[in-house]
Amino acid sequence: MTLSHSHSVRSFLGPVRAVIATVIAAASLAPGALAQDATRWGPKESASSFGWRFDDLFMLIVILTGVSFLIMMVMLLVPVFRDKARAGHKASFDHGRSLHDKRFTAIVSVIVFIVLDAWVLVVAMRDLDEGFWNVPGPGEAPNAVRVQVLAQQWAWNFRQPGVDNKFGTPDDILTLNELVVPASAEAEGNEDWFAGRPVVLNLSSKDVIHSLFLPEMRVKRDANPGAINRMWFTPIRPGDYAILCAELCGFAHYQMHGKLRVLSPADFDAWEAEASAMALAAYDENDAGAQWAWDWQE
Amino acid sequence: MSGEHKGGFLSTYVFSKDHKYIAKQFLWFGLIWLLIGGVMAMMIRWQLANPGEAFPLLGKLFFPRTGGVIDPDAYNMLFSMHGTIMIFLGLTPALIGAWGNWCIPLMIGAPDMIFPLLNTLSFWTVVIGGAVGAYSLFVPLGALEAGWTGYPTLSTTVGTPGSGETLWAIAVFIIGASSIMGGINYITTVVRLRAPGMTWGKLPLTIWGLFFTAVLNVLFLPVIGSAMLLLIFDRVYGTQFYVPATLTSGGGDPILYQHLFWIFGHPEVYILILPAWGIVSDLLSFFARKPAFGYRATVGAMLAVTVLSAVVYGHHMFTTGLSPMLGESFMLLTMIISVPGEILFFNWLHTIWKGSLRLNSAMLFSLGVIFVFGLGGLTGLFLATIATDIFLHDTYFVVGHFHLTMAASALFGAFAGIYFWVPKMYGRLMDERLGKLHFWCTIIPLTTVFCTMFVSGWSGMPRRYADPTSSPYVAELQYLNEITTIAAFILGAAQLIFAFNFIKSCFWGKKAPDNPWEVGTLDWIPAYPVPHGNFATTPTVVTGPHEFSHPALGPDRDWISQTEALPETEGKTA
Repeated sequence: MTLSHSHSVRSFLGPVRAVIATVIAAASLAPGALAQDATRWGPKESASSFGWRFDDLFMLIVILTGVSFLIMMVMLLVPVFRDKARAGHKASFDHGRSLHDKRFTAIVSVIVFIVLDAWVLVVAMRDLDEGFWNVPGPGEAPNAVRVQVLAQQWAWNFRQPGVDNKFGTPDDILTLNELVVPASAEAEGNEDWFAGRPVVLNLSSKDVIHSLFLPEMRVKRDANPGAINRMWFTPIRPGDYAILCAELCGFAHYQMHGKLRVLSPADFDAWEAEASAMALAAYDENDAGAQWAWDWQE
Repeated sequence: MSGEHKGGFLSTYVFSKDHKYIAKQFLWFGLIWLLIGGVMAMMIRWQLANPGEAFPLLGKLFFPRTGGVIDPDAYNMLFSMHGTIMIFLGLTPALIGAWGNWCIPLMIGAPDMIFPLLNTLSFWTVVIGGAVGAYSLFVPLGALEAGWTGYPTLSTTVGTPGSGETLWAIAVFIIGASSIMGGINYITTVVRLRAPGMTWGKLPLTIWGLFFTAVLNVLFLPVIGSAMLLLIFDRVYGTQFYVPATLTSGGGDPILYQHLFWIFGHPEVYILILPAWGIVSDLLSFFARKPAFGYRATVGAMLAVTVLSAVVYGHHMFTTGLSPMLGESFMLLTMIISVPGEILFFNWLHTIWKGSLRLNSAMLFSLGVIFVFGLGGLTGLFLATIATDIFLHDTYFVVGHFHLTMAASALFGAFAGIYFWVPKMYGRLMDERLGKLHFWCTIIPLTTVFCTMFVSGWSGMPRRYADPTSSPYVAELQYLNEITTIAAFILGAAQLIFAFNFIKSCFWGKKAPDNPWEVGTLDWIPAYPVPHGNFATTPTVVTGPHEFSHPALGPDRDWISQTEALPETEGKTA
């Protein structure tokens, strides 16, 4: 996708003109750009079973910190306008070290800790334990779609076990920069965290540190060389979603993006059978670059 | 300065041991690097709004190979060196080097730093570090490209061949040594050289901020030094501290570096911010003509932050595969910092409440710190909370957050210091009209730049993308990049107002009276030019630094020197 208005701040001919041009552009560009179709405000709609947890918690913190900031700004601006130095006006003399002041400070600190921190902490712990960091353990999600991810400069290698459900066999499905998984509509709002077919990933890297970022699934995890990291999500709607690299990995870091294709369960089964059969037919044991599977980590 | 020194040209103007001259050296050194780092920021912003288009005016000079276009290698080099330069060569000297040297002996009533030679050495060490860093920009294959954080294995020869990265690690090592020398000097001076009567409870808060910074410098710069040393060994001698077994025969761990880096890296945030907090705590009281509210609580909060800063670094590593229990512990510890943070804000806001505010440039920048640090500090909650950090980690949300906290707040603190102390440093007043213009032309675009970054990050734009239009998901956010870039160029241009004002005022400004701000701290006692040795007779301190508008002072005067006894306590002091 290209956007044409990236040329609008191009014509810098001299410093004076530049300043004038930028002021005019700033005034004219912002509303125009917001009105365009190919623009977006905020992340794209969540498409995973626990993506709402990020959206809800983000908004909760926006409200809590927003109110705190407003209170601070009122306390800043009132004296700035009311208590300006002028003839006949004298500042009050107050060291703020009376018992009353100390108590007041302590009470405000406790309130801030409870409202801003403890509240958010409790919600975040729940979200981690039920969602983000609740990677299915052995036997917890027998239907899980398992994927091994090997990042490299500058591409994503995905390996799925194929119809035999074993990694490191000739029918493993290998894809580059494109991950195909099934949607599990029943996982949306389900109290069984692993309802449907959760996607569980093992991540590693061939060279430098990369980070698999799936914005619509609201998940991100580093792919470290020499180690295997785990992550999971359950897609709830078919569609094409973004795969991005979030950790600086060299020259083409910005180009290390791919596509997450979420298919309906039936379409996925058909795709898996066909892709697995094709992989088996095209298998070449001398192709050293394709032999990178590891023992599944649960 | 000439005439005060006994000695030749070299020992007077180059290797001076006078803390005041060294403070000036640090200030000018830092400002020059801030300019260089700032130009790099403009190039970064240009590329993000206009990917693949030649940088105007200077592009052909800096990027001759591509005809002025910033290619991905050059882009990676720019943001990596921008971070390194701003932190280690810009803010550290301009804030800690300059005001640490200027304020500590003058404000505690000492003739000089306790180790003047170490002080000279500290400055010339940072110059050597800066020279190595500058040289790395011109070597084949270019300078550092692995980000200012320099994560292996990208920063080992696996990811970045060439000597630029090695030179960067050496430069950081040398600059770290300079900060350690400065830290030892600051701590010892504050402990040993306070004037008679200058008890810990009578120290100006500026000194407390600088003191805690010095403690953190001495404790944590050695950690980054060792991390860099291991990285240098990996790059030069082929050791494999950070290179895992899958890549070589060794058995290192790239995550080890991240632990070492952030054990230093998080305190570094407070190393930069504590002096600004100290300066602001004093200036708000000075210009509100009111005692600093809750002096002990402010000092206690700064102490708490200093201690906590050592145990929260894990929040930089929530997506690395950290053990969940460790991660959640770091989340809790990080959130606890908001309590001392809140106490600081509470005390600052109460200091100006019912004051008599003199809204000059130094005061405006102090109030600006409350605003930008408020924005930056509160957005920290999004990143301390793991469930939101997972999405926001390594997006522009983080870039907006840390620029507001450690960059903008520290810079505002340095600006406040400059507007405040130049009258004693150069004996001339800064132009107030230009200063106020500078403030408004800084804070408005600055807020636009970093708040737009919050929106970009929340929308999912990752950091460090040389061309954000390459991926469809990110290309939709290009309009945000354009708004940010326009605001950033206005912000950059506004700093020319400051440069003009600073140079004009230092050399040709209006002559300043001895105590233009009517404050009682000891630094305003000696007349300009402050002689070598500072005080003709060692001052004896009897009063706190913030006794403004004391009822006993009568209607005509609202301040008292720290060497004067308050009328009602006369006779009682020892």
